[in-house]
Amino acid sequence: MEVISIIVLFASFFTLLLMKVPVAYSIGISTTLSLLLNIDKMPGLTTIAQRMTTGIDSFALLAIPFFVLAGEIMKQGGIANRLINFAKSLVASLPGGLAYVNVLASMLFGAISGSAVAAASAIGSIMTDRMEKEGYPRALSASVNITSSTTGLLIPPSNILIVYALASGGTASVAALFIAGYLPGILLGFAIMGYIAFIAISKGYSKGKRSTLKEVWTYFRKAFFSLLLLVVVVGGIVAGIFTATEASVIAVLYAAILSLIYGDMKVKDFPSILLTSGKTTSVVMFLICTSMAMSWLFSFEGIPEMISTFLLESLNNKFAIFLAINIILLIIGTFMDMTPAVLIFTPIFLPVVTTLGMHPVHFGIVIVLNLCIGICTPPVGTLLFVGSGVANVSVTKVIKSLLPFLAIMIAVLMLISFIPEISMFLPNLFEL
Amino acid sequence: MSKAEYIFNKINKTLEWFIIIIFALLVLDVLFQVISRYLLGTSFTWTEEFARFSLIWMTIIGAAYLNAKKEHLSMDFLYQKLSIKNKRKASIIIEIFIFLFALIIMVIGGFNLVYTTLHLNQLSGTLRIPLGYVYAILPLSGILIMYFSIYHISNFYSNKNIV
Amino acid sequence: SETKVLYLGHTLPQTHPVHKGIIEFKKALELKSNGTLKVKVFPDGQLGSERETLELLQIGSVAATKVSAATLSNFVPEYNVLGIPYLFRNKEHQFSVLEGKVGKTILEKGSKFWLRGLCYYDAGSRSFYTSKKAIRTPEDLKGLKIRVQNNQMAINMVNSMGGAATPLAYGELYAAIQQGVVDGAENNPPSFVSSNHYEISKYYTLDQHSSVPDVLLIGTKFWNKLSEQEKVWVQAAADESAQAQKVFWRESVEASMKIVKDWGVEVIIPEKSLFAEESKNVVIEFVKKFPEMADIVNQIKK
Ligand code: NA
Ligand code: NA
Repeated sequence: MEVISIIVLFASFFTLLLMKVPVAYSIGISTTLSLLLNIDKMPGLTTIAQRMTTGIDSFALLAIPFFVLAGEIMKQGGIANRLINFAKSLVASLPGGLAYVNVLASMLFGAISGSAVAAASAIGSIMTDRMEKEGYPRALSASVNITSSTTGLLIPPSNILIVYALASGGTASVAALFIAGYLPGILLGFAIMGYIAFIAISKGYSKGKRSTLKEVWTYFRKAFFSLLLLVVVVGGIVAGIFTATEASVIAVLYAAILSLIYGDMKVKDFPSILLTSGKTTSVVMFLICTSMAMSWLFSFEGIPEMISTFLLESLNNKFAIFLAINIILLIIGTFMDMTPAVLIFTPIFLPVVTTLGMHPVHFGIVIVLNLCIGICTPPVGTLLFVGSGVANVSVTKVIKSLLPFLAIMIAVLMLISFIPEISMFLPNLFEL
Repeated sequence: MSKAEYIFNKINKTLEWFIIIIFALLVLDVLFQVISRYLLGTSFTWTEEFARFSLIWMTIIGAAYLNAKKEHLSMDFLYQKLSIKNKRKASIIIEIFIFLFALIIMVIGGFNLVYTTLHLNQLSGTLRIPLGYVYAILPLSGILIMYFSIYHISNFYSNKNIV
Repeated sequence: SETKVLYLGHTLPQTHPVHKGIIEFKKALELKSNGTLKVKVFPDGQLGSERETLELLQIGSVAATKVSAATLSNFVPEYNVLGIPYLFRNKEHQFSVLEGKVGKTILEKGSKFWLRGLCYYDAGSRSFYTSKKAIRTPEDLKGLKIRVQNNQMAINMVNSMGGAATPLAYGELYAAIQQGVVDGAENNPPSFVSSNHYEISKYYTLDQHSSVPDVLLIGTKFWNKLSEQEKVWVQAAADESAQAQKVFWRESVEASMKIVKDWGVEVIIPEKSLFAEESKNVVIEFVKKFPEMADIVNQIKK
């Protein structure tokens, strides 16, 4: 391993990123520069080309386009509104009611779409105005919306957990990861609500009117088939009817049939939905392509082994190592998007934590929650940018009101890191 | 509409249909796999390989289409602080970087990969098609990306208003 | 002279007996060359799957690898022969063939495809394991969904015995067996244990349907850069490691079978000839499809 090639890698990566070169290309170009310092030109270039292609040659990854497509089909049918109405009928009458509605709707929508960005944009664009009318500052609404959208990455289905399953080399199955994500995702949602209760009571934000049971029932019925999708997908996986990838295509079939029956969509709408979903898929998947090349470069240079030796020998305490890994991941998360971070750093840290007795599924939840914090922070914070954008507030203003929410997320992260049962209770129960 | 714009739009339309068709095939293929196992009780050996290869094609051709539309994920908080003039300069430099990556890795590296696997006649496990055909999407998409970069750069020079 | 570093990637964990064989190769080569040839081993698929690593040998960024002959058969057709069910009478017969003229010929065929074979490692025999229904005769296989490697020979074999061959990614297999997406799979005892599949299987039927060896390979791009002396060292180190590896394998099979039995998996010793009979068609069809390989098959069978 040459120190110089590491320096070249990071220096060029940051420079390109700051210049607004697309993230996938920044990763690809810095990998190329670094690899060419170590290896003959033609084999080096060809190897990167090969890693980019074979890196996405995986049946498990097919779940990503399918969940994106299912989510897109359901979005066209006004699903966000239905979920907001249902959430509102449940929690609007509490102090800070509308903020709860935002959290709950984000949890439900993120759960269905498998994407935090989709949840943040769909829920945030509707909720921010409503919340402002009742006296919530826009920056506060944006903070609630941004952080609560991350719950959808833990509650299944979740694209990033599928990516993690790939990065773990099959030691963590998608099925087990999906089940494991429920409690941490719900815990995170409740923790955010707890903080909202605190500000709502101290600042005296208004309560909404209480819904009658009949109204709750009406809104539940309208949201029912969207919610049922979750049961079909996750239930089908747990019951062994199909694998995670097959479940994702069943979700597509389900959503398509439902939206045709509802009349929300016609057959002629499908091409444009396929195109939109194909584009979203390519954004994620092309990131995976170049990330896999960078991950290969790291292995080739022996970096995983170096870091693991360093951690295991210099910190002889299990908790100190877990803590150190969490801190490193938090730092990585601030400047790297989730998908590349999972693909590049899972092979580095997973062998260390499993040596210390941590379950690969548990680590998957920890790494994803950790990077959830990262996508809410500058300089590279996809969710922060989207959330501020849809709320129409500057990123700087949002950051101030975001800080306590990030503290809550870190507290939840610590709980989930050091209490494995929160993640492992359900997988153990279902023997996954 | 200028001739260059006309060609650009035609290529984009073709790519759009390519993505739509391949995505539709992907859905049908995996649905067929599940249904055949449950209803017909048999598994066809080629469905998995077909799905994997289609995903590779859709992703990499999709990446070229994203370049045409400038819709790849990027970080623009520094860029937003630049003046219009500097934004244009930065955009040109970005396109040059993308052009070079497409040329060096996707076209040159990719072509060598295709050449090697075709020359050595490697076949896929069940479909028995040469792997070189699967890899061919990389140089193909690379050429498209290079073309899109040139198109965008020439637009920056011919139209002073865009950033 | 300057030091040359040989990068060697494979997909097995470090506890695996074949990995131990590779470490013997590393030790022997570094000793013989007085440290001028160094071997850097990357286990656990760090550099890619078997297929991908073979390509990297052809591309020239990785020097050497160890893969199953089943994967190699998509690159070098002659290796298909070694996947034929019940090809060898027993282990002695297998290694007298592999280490004799026929085995050497097949190893050399790879050079045409830039993949020079160095030696064979023992990968034992593959047998069926199932989660619900026991396989005692080929009759019991009828209708069972058995996961196989994505390889035509393996698919044909299971289908000809009456099972429903289901090619599935290895990473999805544990969950698939547990949840009943497939009824079983097939592998050798050490892999049955290292994959933890024994934990979720009730029966292990030692029908030993195929004995596909592992192969240690070096890319000709790297090989051609070596001096004559260095080539001799590499080949000698490979041969030494192959002998040591057979001992590691035997020990590992014994230890694995003990783990399997202690866990409570029922180990079934069936009448192998019944299974061999059912799979005869596979050989006939293979020879029909690849007539140029009939000669090799006959040489082995005689
Ligand atoms: Na989700
Ligand atoms: Na960040």
